[in-house]
Amino acid sequence: MRFSFYLFLAVLSSIIVLFILLPIVATLSTQFYDFDGLLEALGDKAVWNSILLTYYAAMLSTLIAVVFGTPLAYLLARYGFPGKSIIEGITDVPVVIPHTVAGITLLAVFGSNGLIGSFSPVKFVDALPGIVVAMLFVSIPIYINAAREGFSSIDIRLEQVARTLGASPSRVFFTISLPLVARHIAAGAIMSWARAISEFGAIIVIAYYPMVAPTLIYERYVSTGLSAARPVAVILILLSLAVFVVLRLLLWGQKR
Amino acid sequence: MQKRSVAMFVVFATLLGGCIQGIQDSKKITSGQTEAEVTEKIVLKVFHAGSLTEPMKAFKKAFEEKCPNVEVQCEAAGSAATIRKVTELGRTADIVASADYTLIPKMMYPDYANWTVMFAKNQIVLAYTDKSKYANEINSENWYQILRRPDVKFGFSNPNDDPCGYRSQMVLQLAELYYNDSTIYDDLVAKHSNLKFVEENGIYILRMPKSEDINPDTSKLMIRSMEMELIHGIETGEIDYYFIYRSVAQQHNHRFIELPPQIDLSSAEYADIYKKVKVVLANGKGVVGKPIIYGITIPESAEHKEYAEKFIELIVSKEGQRILKELGQPPVVPSVDNVDNLPEDLKEYVKP
Repeated sequence: MRFSFYLFLAVLSSIIVLFILLPIVATLSTQFYDFDGLLEALGDKAVWNSILLTYYAAMLSTLIAVVFGTPLAYLLARYGFPGKSIIEGITDVPVVIPHTVAGITLLAVFGSNGLIGSFSPVKFVDALPGIVVAMLFVSIPIYINAAREGFSSIDIRLEQVARTLGASPSRVFFTISLPLVARHIAAGAIMSWARAISEFGAIIVIAYYPMVAPTLIYERYVSTGLSAARPVAVILILLSLAVFVVLRLLLWGQKR
Repeated sequence: MQKRSVAMFVVFATLLGGCIQGIQDSKKITSGQTEAEVTEKIVLKVFHAGSLTEPMKAFKKAFEEKCPNVEVQCEAAGSAATIRKVTELGRTADIVASADYTLIPKMMYPDYANWTVMFAKNQIVLAYTDKSKYANEINSENWYQILRRPDVKFGFSNPNDDPCGYRSQMVLQLAELYYNDSTIYDDLVAKHSNLKFVEENGIYILRMPKSEDINPDTSKLMIRSMEMELIHGIETGEIDYYFIYRSVAQQHNHRFIELPPQIDLSSAEYADIYKKVKVVLANGKGVVGKPIIYGITIPESAEHKEYAEKFIELIVSKEGQRILKELGQPPVVPSVDNVDNLPEDLKEYVKP
């Protein structure tokens, strides 16, 4: 019985892993037959510029998510207050909004005549800040949920003990709670960074230029075709995979 | 042991199957159709240029009324991307319609299609809204002076991706010739990007850089991949003016100025003038200025050729031409490229 259960787990798990893996392997292996195309893309400055821009913008978006999302996550994990479930619902809204619509709504706020864009000295449309807000909008739920899970998982008695010993709430937060959830925060940050990198639909509405990697891939596909778009996609996949593995290993090492 | 696990899987698979069946059943119930009708429902897939979105919606409605057993599914994209869905992504479409009929012979002949029906024309206009700067001043004479003003922002789609984009460039260059003012294109576009026309043997050629190198000054120009994406820009007041097909401007209730027919690519009469401008796209393909004519075809791989033919029949029929006209897209007397390959049923509609 035990064996059949393990078999059950193994078969179903492998199906879902294959489902994820097959399209990626197919893309990579097709590219292998067009190795020259890959080399050409590797030597293309525009490709690297767009990938670096993507990583950089995603990093900024993640930093903002950590700074503003962590207190909210703590609030949601620790306190009950009227309207809490509404706030929880609001933080999840970006997940269900279609990306193009997200882009259009962001344009209404951050566009030159938008609520914020009309007086903001920072220009959002077709500029880096526009990319960052688009990325932040779609990736923030992932971070907040991960951090909230973290805060929920720590033993509340540790905080209470610190309080009885005379530590102020802020001291408890910064010296007890925060260090305990560091791993959750890091894991959440990595996931939201990754989600930001993959964003396309919202970004092209608010900032077609400067071109992030997903826009460049789409652009190459539309203007030249699949053969020009695929190498860029392959580079982005491999590089992101490498960054991911390294970050995960670092996290894993910390756990030990 | 193993028997058990097999049995478990059978149970599991049956459950899963049951679930899917259940979902399908509930769908049938909600749409109020009998099983027989559901299995007979034919899906006709139409891939079309973004600027045909409104006419296609109208054709879909008219066609589904005529053939209730058919569901027309429309998918909009830039014309080149539309064709690539069939030629490169290997997707099946029953109809492909492009905003530039020449793309079909160029990109689809001979493997993916082998005839093209030309069914409508269009013209490039300069569209705006009441909120646009100098909206009360602009007219067909002074439009390029208004665009020159430093506080005016305007947009066009990416010439590499979208026929409307390279056509806008042609219009601006033709304006230089028509108004006898050789700085129009420079002031409006060249100064604010890496796009530049050069004269070679009396032909004005724009060699497009790669899209990532267009480098537009985004405080003056807004560029988007597809013309339809500029609509967000004009409606939120991000830009004041944009170059667009007349039909699209009319369908979105934007105000627009008609440009002189010598430059707006609308009229076969001025084809010789349009020929003086050329855009070489980043992928190496050259396009010479010519009147805007829409093309439609049935790809070789179409699954429902019979219904696809009926759909095209509707478009080229009197009713279809009336729909086009109402939506600001003047129809043309349908003509055809590679008439020998045209399905018999369509031959009576097109001029020989």
